[in-house]
Amino acid sequence: MLELAPDRNFELLGEYAIETEYDIVMARQTVRQFAKKAGMGIVDQTRITTAVSELFRNMYNYAGGGKVLIERGDVESHDALIITCIDHGPGIENLELAMSDGYTSGMGMGYGLPGTKRLVDRFEIQSKINEGTTVRIMKWK
Amino acid sequence: MDLHEKRIPIIKIRDFLIVSIQVDMHDKLAIQLQSQILEEIGRTGAKGVLIDISVLEMVDSFIGRMLSGMASMASIMDAAVVIVGMQPAVAITLVELGLEMPGVDTALNMEKGMEMLEKRLKDLEHNFF
Amino acid sequence: MSEPRNVKNLKDRINRIEDILASVAAGDMDARIETEIEDDLSGIEAAIDLLIDDLTDELRQREKMQKELETKLKEIQEQQRTIVQQQEDLLELSSPVSKVWDNILILPVIGTLDSQRTQIMMENLLQKIVDTGCTISILDITGVPTVDTQVANHLLKTVTSARLLGAECIISGISPAIAQTIVHLGIDLSTIRTKATLQDAMIYAMKQNKRSDEMKVLSRNALSDEKED
Repeated sequence: MLELAPDRNFELLGEYAIETEYDIVMARQTVRQFAKKAGMGIVDQTRITTAVSELFRNMYNYAGGGKVLIERGDVESHDALIITCIDHGPGIENLELAMSDGYTSGMGMGYGLPGTKRLVDRFEIQSKINEGTTVRIMKWK
Repeated sequence: MDLHEKRIPIIKIRDFLIVSIQVDMHDKLAIQLQSQILEEIGRTGAKGVLIDISVLEMVDSFIGRMLSGMASMASIMDAAVVIVGMQPAVAITLVELGLEMPGVDTALNMEKGMEMLEKRLKDLEHNFF
Repeated sequence: MSEPRNVKNLKDRINRIEDILASVAAGDMDARIETEIEDDLSGIEAAIDLLIDDLTDELRQREKMQKELETKLKEIQEQQRTIVQQQEDLLELSSPVSKVWDNILILPVIGTLDSQRTQIMMENLLQKIVDTGCTISILDITGVPTVDTQVANHLLKTVTSARLLGAECIISGISPAIAQTIVHLGIDLSTIRTKATLQDAMIYAMKQNKRSDEMKVLSRNALSDEKED
């Protein structure tokens, strides 16, 4: 697994596997429940749910699935919901390009990463060819 | 649970088709709905489609693309698509995501959507005669 | 005097002093030597007991102060929360959306717009559009001195989101300064209907209304025509 800055004070709320399209639906609904419990407003709930839906679909389409961690913790004195998506897929060749607006990886689909980034407060990504990709996003009230 | 059993009903009233999406759709269901609606347009010769998404709590890029793609496809088949009842939170999120869905007609509620389609039909008749 | 006074069980007593000091160090503040023997050593023993007493008092005092501080901190945090809540309430109050005519909403914005306020304003307006079913809304920014990129983008986002709901949002009262800023920032407002004054926006909105009324009459006639056939 690719390492992101290790985190200390996060409380693990759940761990889910994304293996089918149905898992995507279930997992994003779970994220919405946690966002609601964390006291987020309806627009922020929708933002985080949509963001994870994009990431889960990427894992399913490009890496054949992966693992999702949902955590809650204190980030720069914000009560944050932290979602980490880990896959062991082919990896992203040019991260900078994939993160630039208007980029698509054929078939007009793209990873949708810039859009996803706009929906959250923190966006971190690590990717290595033939090893996989880890994306961690955070959202707070 | 068999996902393929779930079907979203399509109702025909006069010249229009009415579809109300009530479930959080996974991708295959969304694609299936798209072809189902296009088939119905072909079969019935409907001139307009109202798609009610007022209970949808989330529209991500896939569903967004499916909806705008369907509008283009239907328009090639000479049918207008109106997306009805999108929630404010969903609209804001779609715009932030970068999916502004240009060229897709929208309406606040079913009644207004129906008015739009009727006006379009009326205009078509005027142009025809 | 040359004869040393009786110091009994010297070794045991020194051991006891060591034990007591160790317990105190470990946090047992009730431990005392409390010797009953009167001799040269007992003075030192009593002095150690006194020192422990002082230390205990000192520690108790500190604990009390710490508790008081914690309570104060909690109070302050509570007040902070109230302030934040009131700020949020104020933000909502400062952007009132009103229905001024059939099918027409107006949101007059006064004062400096920051990102947060624009965000709340946008959410309020969109919700009101859905609640009232009004298809035309006017966002009047006559009372806004300047905008930055972020605020301009939020305004843009409001208009685009309103369109996705099935409503039109007009921005009126764009001052020369704001027009300059927007063009300099390279923000594309060409897809957005802007009007110089609130009055112009209102006239435009009324015209749109008239048009949609005619549309309704048309479709109603169409319906009755069909019945006659």
